[in-house]
Amino acid sequence: MINRKTLVQIGLPLPATLFLAVFLVIPALFLLSYSVGTQTAGTVGFPLTLGNFARLLGSPTYRGIFFQTLEISLWTTLASAILAYPLALTVARGNAFFSRLTLILVVAPMVMSVVVRTYGWQLLLANGPQGVVNYALTILHAPMLPRLLYTKWAVVIASTHVFLPLIVLPLSASLARIPASLVEAARMLGASDQRAFLSVTLPLSMPGLVTGCMIVFTLTSASYVTPQMIGGATGAMLGVLLEQQINTVYAWPMGAAIAVIMVALTLAAHGATGRLMARSGVVRANKG
Amino acid sequence: MTMNRFSTFVFVVATALILVFLIAPLLVVVSLSFSQNLLATFPPKGFTFDWYAQVIAQEDFQRSFKTSALLAVASTFMSLMLATPAALALNRGILPGAAIVETVLLSPMILPILIAGLALTQFTSSIGLHSTMGNLFIGHTLITLPYVLRTVTASLKQLDHSLEEAASTLGASSMTIFWLITIPQIMPGLVAGCIFSFMISFDDFSLSFWLSNTETEPLPVFLHNKMASVFDPSIATMSSLMIAVGVIVVLLIERIVGLRKAMGV
Repeated sequence: MINRKTLVQIGLPLPATLFLAVFLVIPALFLLSYSVGTQTAGTVGFPLTLGNFARLLGSPTYRGIFFQTLEISLWTTLASAILAYPLALTVARGNAFFSRLTLILVVAPMVMSVVVRTYGWQLLLANGPQGVVNYALTILHAPMLPRLLYTKWAVVIASTHVFLPLIVLPLSASLARIPASLVEAARMLGASDQRAFLSVTLPLSMPGLVTGCMIVFTLTSASYVTPQMIGGATGAMLGVLLEQQINTVYAWPMGAAIAVIMVALTLAAHGATGRLMARSGVVRANKG
Repeated sequence: MTMNRFSTFVFVVATALILVFLIAPLLVVVSLSFSQNLLATFPPKGFTFDWYAQVIAQEDFQRSFKTSALLAVASTFMSLMLATPAALALNRGILPGAAIVETVLLSPMILPILIAGLALTQFTSSIGLHSTMGNLFIGHTLITLPYVLRTVTASLKQLDHSLEEAASTLGASSMTIFWLITIPQIMPGLVAGCIFSFMISFDDFSLSFWLSNTETEPLPVFLHNKMASVFDPSIATMSSLMIAVGVIVVLLIERIVGLRKAMGV
């Protein structure tokens, strides 16, 4: 007889596992299988083909959107990483009041809908005199920016805003684990602030930084709302293309092929991060 | 941290500017929600609560708000029911097939939400599930489940097992131990997990827009659709109401569990 304990062990995670298997894993496999299917009169099925991928890669427009997705995601990750350091340092090492205030201001936007935040950026970056940025420039007697909204840079700016908190949190956790005595020691041995940061703080905060960058990169590359609302025709990304293929063109196999490429990007980022962490041995060093 | 004066100055200014960057879009939205202008354009003119009165009286706004609130509560409850036992099993002892279970449980983190939503729409329509609310409920449970699982697992890791062992030695049944010893200890984690789960559901657009229709539209989808046809400050007002919900949530978490603990920093 299988003892009761084993039964309980198997039974406890069963509902959650089944739920995800039925409503996430199976539907995802279904969708992904569409990417090699042929669409005839509203149904997708045989013959199996790689034609959808060939069409995607063959079209300069689609290829352009793919590379633009990579480009926007990389710029967003870079900008988030740079902006995250001062915030994370304040959260991890600042005095009680500023550390708490910073954490509240970082977390608060995180729990607000991306639709609302992107709307805020629409107002800030609007082209012409009613855009807040242009309005401020006019007050400063500076020339207005000719075109801000509906460009890929608008997408980078708004995406950075949307995803920055997700890099600040793991980074603060990493920074908090660095013994303050190490930075003190570097300073006492004559290192400047910049030197102490570059040779002590930065390398030791790598685990948090790498984790955060991975999260930001994957979420940006799979985003839809932000590029849809402020990217316009020149700032399109794969998510926007996917939605168009499904809801406007009704081309399910094409949509599925785009979905496959987006999942592959996510998996590649996860894989690269795992490898990076393992190679540098930072995982072990920071778990102690 | 010892820093010379110049570095400190540069650091403080940079931090302040980045914080401005973080809250500027929210402030602009809120400022326009009180504008007397007929268009939602900067700068706002005058000061009025008219848009709030108008938005709150709108029937479709009310319906959408109810849909979102109901979905967020229901999917959070469902996630809690599914995730807590799973977290308990994964935390304790050796589970047969643990690797498979863990892979499945982590799958929502690998699959982008946009694609999970599309896959679910296609799946539910092909197997004949046509209740919009039901499908949204399933979808929202999918995206909130991993967060609840993660917070519950994190609180279980900090559990003091000696208390459970003591109770067991004294003859308590495993059910008694669970309700009287384990649950009270992981309560803060459960509460934080639930609040986050509520917000993830309440804020979601990427999954919901595939599954919604005009009768059943969660708030972010409703708002997004309105933006295409309405250009007056009522959009800013609806957004501000959502911002208010977010602010309340952050303050709640800070009060109940402490933001630092809840965010793991």
